[in-house]
Amino acid sequence: MPHEVIMPALGMAQETGQIVAWLKAAGDAVKAGEPLMEVETDKATMEVEAQFDGFLADIRAEAGANVPVGEVVALIADRPGGTGEGASSPPAAPAASAGGGAAPDDLPEGEAIIMPALGMAQDTGILVAWLKAPGEAVGRDEVLLEVETDKSTMEVPAGADGYIAALLAEAGEEVPVGATIAVISTSKPENPVQRSAATGGAPVAPSPMPETAKPVATGTPAAAAEKKVAPAAVPTQGGRILASPKARRLAAAEGLDLARLRDAGVPQPFHVADLDTLRALPSPGAAANPAQAAASLHLTAEAPATALAELVAWIAGEGNAPVDAAGLLAGFAAGALRPHAEGSLIVAVERHGQRRSYADPDRGGLGSAPQPQEKAAPALILRDLRGSGLTGLRLGAEEAPVLTLTGDDRICLTLECAAGQLSPAAALDLMTGVAARLNDPLRHLL
Amino acid sequence: MAAAKRKTNTEAYLRMYRQMVRIRSFEDNANQLYLSARMPGLTHMYSGEEAVAVGICEALTDDDKITSTHRGHGHCVAKGAEFRQMFCELLGKEEGYCRGKGGSMHIADQSHGNLGANAIVGGSMGIATGAALSARLRGTDEVTVCFFGDGATAQGLWYEVMNMAALWKLPVIYACENNGYSEYTRTDEIAAGSLMKRAEAFGIEAHQVDGQDVLAVNDLAAKLVARARKGEGPFFIELETYRYHGHHVGDINRNYYRSKEEETIWKENRDPIVNFGVWLAKEGIATEADLQEIRDTVKADAEAAVAYALDAAYPPAAEVDMHVYAPDTAA
Amino acid sequence: MREITLSRAVNEAIAEEMRRDPTIFLMGEDVAEAGTPFKVLSGLVEEFGTERIIDTPISEPGFMGLAVGAAMTGSRPIVDLMFGDFLFLVMDQLCNQAAKIHYMSGGKLNVPLVLRTNLGATRRSAAQHSQSLHALVAHIPGLKVALPSSAYEAKGLMKTAIRDNNPVVIFEDKLMYNDKAPVPEEEYLIPFGQAAVLREGRDLTLVATSSMVQVARAAAEVLARDGISAEVIDPRTIVPLDEATILDSVRKTSRAIVIDEGHQSFGVSAEIAARISEKAFYHLDAPVLRFGAMDVPVPFSPALEDLTVPTPDRVAEAARRIVRGEMTDAA
Repeated sequence: MPHEVIMPALGMAQETGQIVAWLKAAGDAVKAGEPLMEVETDKATMEVEAQFDGFLADIRAEAGANVPVGEVVALIADRPGGTGEGASSPPAAPAASAGGGAAPDDLPEGEAIIMPALGMAQDTGILVAWLKAPGEAVGRDEVLLEVETDKSTMEVPAGADGYIAALLAEAGEEVPVGATIAVISTSKPENPVQRSAATGGAPVAPSPMPETAKPVATGTPAAAAEKKVAPAAVPTQGGRILASPKARRLAAAEGLDLARLRDAGVPQPFHVADLDTLRALPSPGAAANPAQAAASLHLTAEAPATALAELVAWIAGEGNAPVDAAGLLAGFAAGALRPHAEGSLIVAVERHGQRRSYADPDRGGLGSAPQPQEKAAPALILRDLRGSGLTGLRLGAEEAPVLTLTGDDRICLTLECAAGQLSPAAALDLMTGVAARLNDPLRHLL
Repeated sequence: MAAAKRKTNTEAYLRMYRQMVRIRSFEDNANQLYLSARMPGLTHMYSGEEAVAVGICEALTDDDKITSTHRGHGHCVAKGAEFRQMFCELLGKEEGYCRGKGGSMHIADQSHGNLGANAIVGGSMGIATGAALSARLRGTDEVTVCFFGDGATAQGLWYEVMNMAALWKLPVIYACENNGYSEYTRTDEIAAGSLMKRAEAFGIEAHQVDGQDVLAVNDLAAKLVARARKGEGPFFIELETYRYHGHHVGDINRNYYRSKEEETIWKENRDPIVNFGVWLAKEGIATEADLQEIRDTVKADAEAAVAYALDAAYPPAAEVDMHVYAPDTAA
Repeated sequence: MREITLSRAVNEAIAEEMRRDPTIFLMGEDVAEAGTPFKVLSGLVEEFGTERIIDTPISEPGFMGLAVGAAMTGSRPIVDLMFGDFLFLVMDQLCNQAAKIHYMSGGKLNVPLVLRTNLGATRRSAAQHSQSLHALVAHIPGLKVALPSSAYEAKGLMKTAIRDNNPVVIFEDKLMYNDKAPVPEEEYLIPFGQAAVLREGRDLTLVATSSMVQVARAAAEVLARDGISAEVIDPRTIVPLDEATILDSVRKTSRAIVIDEGHQSFGVSAEIAARISEKAFYHLDAPVLRFGAMDVPVPFSPALEDLTVPTPDRVAEAARRIVRGEMTDAA
């Protein structure tokens, strides 16, 4: 009964050994303990002794071959000229001994199409779909397949004219870069091949590539791919929001948008306590529509607070009826907007959580009582948030243009409105007009 | 052959022969398992040193303790372990002595008093001395033998524990298997002076014995164990021996530190099993045929155990975090 | 209830257990008549004799090794390591041997030993007698680690440690030996893995170990005057760690600071902080902060040494900042 000669495990973490040389030839008599071959491991070259007496036979790995530890490399037969016939156990996996990639013998002739390397550090590509069927004619620039890499999905052109003679991978399979995935033949094939890469496909093209293998052009990303990639490419508006994990969790549970806190100028990072501020902010309303929000107008201006305060004090000092400051502001706004108005102008003033509406407040004259209009939709909302500590805000468009006043020593004006609510010219006139009136209120009143 | 006085106990002689053959057979199979990549890890062969382990362990009872080394299969067999559980352990199988968690370098067999192999050279010297202290404190007459190699004599721990063992007259025997090589280095390159005198410096009685002569080893061990039981310990024995293989399996090209000629001389002239067999035949205790039968039986036992272990189950994944901590007894 | 010092509490725990179980013995440098430099063990040798209270040579690796061997063979040793800094000397015996033997033997061998030692700086003892090295051993599977923070904990944890079937390292704060705390006359044990909630709070959780428990309590007092309500948790053992109590508290308070006297980098505070971040992330309203000893060798000069350890003021200031939601390094 022949004994197996096995690639021994000689190093501490050795997986393969390279046969440097056989010290005996097939047919030679060997004794246990005699050096049989030289093996090189990661550490050193060593002589491996025969473990049995007999005759060397059936050398299965030649000098130079890298053989996995445990694999049979030869036999020691009882008789000279003995062979592996009748060996007690079949040799272990023979695969690794071959070395180079033998060509797939049963493939039709033609241009081998390989899985292209499309990414920077891409080892494999996932075949998304074949766009041609076996036997179908294909042009060099026609899309042959879709491939998904780590980055995106790409349409890959055929790269050769001819007919689909073989498709060697199936949709969904992950194929190593360089592996042959299709064959394009010059004449229409009689028996086009189609199979999966897992069961029989073709070997990975060794490097350097054989003449027949032709890498397809590293395709330009197809339209489909761009669509998929595009959303990620758009930077998040306003960048990342810093908030504690708990604040985020509670906000998500209540459907609160932390971006509104950021837009309202609340300093980051946000904590749970900031959610109270967020809850108190006015409803975003129409801003929920992203199309509108995207096209909305956002203007800011600044004016001194002193002139208005002096005017109010002056009126009071003249012994007149108490000044309706809200009406005064409404009048300024309506006056500024008047050139763009057709007919009546209703301005709603929000202050200290209350709302009052004024119809044409610019026409009442100084000190005259406005006419409250509760039902009609306002052409403009004037939100007075002076003294709130807010320094800037971006709340998005609401059902009407909103002019917000913030600040204390100086009045900051912020106008926000959806496209179509005000023309840019009207918006500019409104802002410059209100700012001018706050600068010199008396002149506009008299 | 040593001038050992002729023992009348034929059974004991044959048991020692058989135990040495078992060790050799175990190692031959372990070597093959490793070389054929069926055994994971890293292993060190005891072949050649059989008379040391057997000669000493035959002088011990199951209650006596030993501590072993990375080259520990021989001690384990000599102390009474079974092939099956040993091969299962070497192959990482659930039925191994340590449920596959220790492997070749940590094999322990508590039921026969083997406190375990140790992969830290000299690492068990404290354990052995502590076991001797415990034996005394618990009021038993147990003796502990601490096996270690010549390489381990360079570890400082040995001197600390010899000092305490001598101070407290502990029942421990330090058995230094001097096989001439500290891993890949000749021992005379790493050891200054005399190992015997190192022990004697602590007032420890030191002996030197031919570690290839199982009768000489057993004779000395039996006397020292008996004296240690009476509180006359500790003792030191230097056993001159030889390892047939390299430091570990795979250390096969060792010309740079040890010549083939030297190996051949030891194997051909001083093999403990061959020489003891010749003596047994000469003394009329056993015929060569009797000895051949022992060798054949042991070989078949070992092969059956290997086959069993190869087919045995690996521990289930749930074992991976089992035995990190022993169950609490705290109330 | 009577009040006794931490030193007395440790002494009582050992004496009570030694009376209960004759297999317990204690060994270390100057543990007998000297009763250790801190006088923690005074009186034990008079009751239990030199057979069970054993003075060793200055050989830390040696007697640590002896303890491992004794523990494997039926004794229950308590090893006294005079300073926690000497852990580095015993690492092989403790971490390669004691910690792994139960596992390596597949659960067959137990190592029921207690290593009692200490930690803590600001005793003007400089770099080699002031370290808090419990993270080193907590890192090694197979070892349990107890950190008593008062006389009450010291007694209850010591008794549990002695009864445990595993190697347990118990660190006493060497600055607290004379600190008194109420300790009941009647016997009690403190189970491992059960944290103590020392103070309930609403706004943040202070997790503190050993010597740092008093720092956390003082910080909580300061914070209370500012209207900030801090919960103080003492894990008492870090292996096993009572995660549930810590996580429950953090889920309630949403903020946590972990204070431990080991070096801040790669330490116990980092481990606890990481577990909070992993397991209570969505309940956190602020980054989890760590306070440990500064990453420098402990300096001798009092002017420098005091800078290296966490103080109540520094902890309180950090607490104020995270409660106010101020930007920390994490933002």
